[in-house]
Amino acid sequence: MFLAWNEIKYSKVRYLLIIGVLFLISYLVFFLTGLAYGLAQENRTAIDSWDADGIILPEEANGNFNMSLFSAEELDNIQADEKAILGQTPAVIEKDQEDSGEDRLDVRFLGIDTEQFLTPDVVEGRLVESDGEVVADISLKEENGLNLNDSITLVGGEQAFEIVGFMEDAKLSVAPVLYTTIEAFQEIRFGEPVSDDSELAISAIVVRSETDELDQITIDNDQLELIPIGDFINDLPGYNAQLLTFVFMISFLIVIAAIVIGIFIYVLTMQKVNIFGVMKAQGISSGYISKSVIAQTFLLSLIGVLVGLLATLGTALLLPAAVPFRSNELFLIVVSMLMIGIAILGALFSVRTIVKIDPLKAIS
Amino acid sequence: MKAIEFINVDRAFKDGDKTVKALQPTNFSIDRGQFVAIIGPSGSGKSTFLTIAGGLQAPSHGEVKINGQRFSTESEKKRSKIRLSEIGFILQASNLVPFLTIKQQLQLVDRVDKGKANREEILTLLEQLDIADLQNKYPGEISGGQRQRAAIARALYNDPTIILADEPTASLDTDKAYQVVEILAQETKRKNKATIMVTHDTRLIEYCDQVFEMKDGVLQEVQLTATT
Ligand SMILES: Nc1ncnc2c1ncn2[C@@H]1O[C@H](COP(=O)(O)OP(=O)(O)O)[C@@H](O)[C@H]1O
Ligand SMILES: [Mg+2]
Repeated sequence: MFLAWNEIKYSKVRYLLIIGVLFLISYLVFFLTGLAYGLAQENRTAIDSWDADGIILPEEANGNFNMSLFSAEELDNIQADEKAILGQTPAVIEKDQEDSGEDRLDVRFLGIDTEQFLTPDVVEGRLVESDGEVVADISLKEENGLNLNDSITLVGGEQAFEIVGFMEDAKLSVAPVLYTTIEAFQEIRFGEPVSDDSELAISAIVVRSETDELDQITIDNDQLELIPIGDFINDLPGYNAQLLTFVFMISFLIVIAAIVIGIFIYVLTMQKVNIFGVMKAQGISSGYISKSVIAQTFLLSLIGVLVGLLATLGTALLLPAAVPFRSNELFLIVVSMLMIGIAILGALFSVRTIVKIDPLKAIS
Repeated sequence: MKAIEFINVDRAFKDGDKTVKALQPTNFSIDRGQFVAIIGPSGSGKSTFLTIAGGLQAPSHGEVKINGQRFSTESEKKRSKIRLSEIGFILQASNLVPFLTIKQQLQLVDRVDKGKANREEILTLLEQLDIADLQNKYPGEISGGQRQRAAIARALYNDPTIILADEPTASLDTDKAYQVVEILAQETKRKNKATIMVTHDTRLIEYCDQVFEMKDGVLQEVQLTATT
């Protein structure tokens, strides 16, 4: 640390530039990680909030509940610790008073039976009690200015709904979710209410198991298949492609960071071959010099990463709500450690050079 | 007990299919408190001699002992340790660490070799060498003569047995060169060191107790005629 820190103090500009590069790279990595995580969450938070273990769909739907429709009576053919029916449909809504067309919103309606476990945790207002009511994702309030008791209409239909409650983290495939009753779902989906409960159609049956294992769940109909909830999320349209895009961008960025830092430290080491050689001639061991270089890299990357972290958190405060940025302590810590670890890995490359310095050459 | 002792040491280099004998078989020793000069033309083997003495290269044959202990036959790691505690190197002008202040140059030795050095000594030592007011300056901010005095301070700081100086005055003008050698001679006596100085400036040998001449790898003592 003695050599490392004194050298940084002596060559301030040079090391500030290196810290600057480390800062920019880590800022970018933090930011992309936040965006990736935010976008991933917007695909799935509604599903995560169910705390379910599996979902049952008709086999022909191929794991996609946009394409599935079956009778609610199938519920009786399923043995599970907890089970709930679910209707799901995308829709476009607009605020009642306005006809400008600009305030149309893409949403997802989820029809549920409020006696079953899919009932949302309302943070404002109350639960759905009748067919004309919805509980909406809070983003509709924060980003779109909808409020409790506002009335919304379905575009291309006559139904109107009153917002009676808001809930957090209810997004599905990047659209805000509106929870309503299964009967209201029928009306949205088919344009008219069903006359008889036996005609109720649903998109899926969601199941929970107390042991988190799916093998206790049995289905008495081979047209239906049980999909573990994790697999179901991965198969959401676009979800995996988005996630992989980010994962690859971030991994490449981290690899590039390692290479860039490795090159920096290597060039700096090469510039100091003579100084290190003279030190070795005086009996200062390769180990001590190498430790100094590693310590220096650690200091530089620690400062760069911390500044990057602060900048990320600062930027997050300024971002418009519509940007799907979300940070998560675990990710921030993991990315920080990864960046510092990678920097040190890059510096290890120079240790070989240090060990090989011949003090004889340095002094002659 | 001799501070440093060469026992039948020689050094040959392979140059293509010829071998160059940079140092012919040499026996040599000095005691603490002695200031010895080695003079000779360029390429005669002076640096080879000095770097073997400092353990930076191994002799082809023979053995170097320090304080009567094995040295040249020890492992690289052990030699490095012995070098740190028993040998002070003074090289041509630029062997100070450019990014450490004069004081920090000495502190570095403490960092590596914990325990042996005495921190209060820094100021005393710098005062003795008349560079105490430069202690917070970087090598790039002081003159060549001051740098060499700082280098001497650093070599002395860890209280080694032996001081090896390879052309310590090469980059200095005559006045400064005299001053530096005078200081080296003084400190050798005051601190009871064994000092070997390589120089090609024969005027500087008046400060030395013994003078050797290197010629084609052969080391021979020069009889000093008492001049006043
Ligand atoms: N590493 C080496 N490889 C080959 N020859 C060397 C090497 N080091 C020194 N020599 C040769 O040994 C001889 C003595 O060199 P040196 O000790 O540097 O002389 P001086 O210091 O007196 O000028 C020279 O002929 C030089 O070319
Ligand atoms: Mg030489």
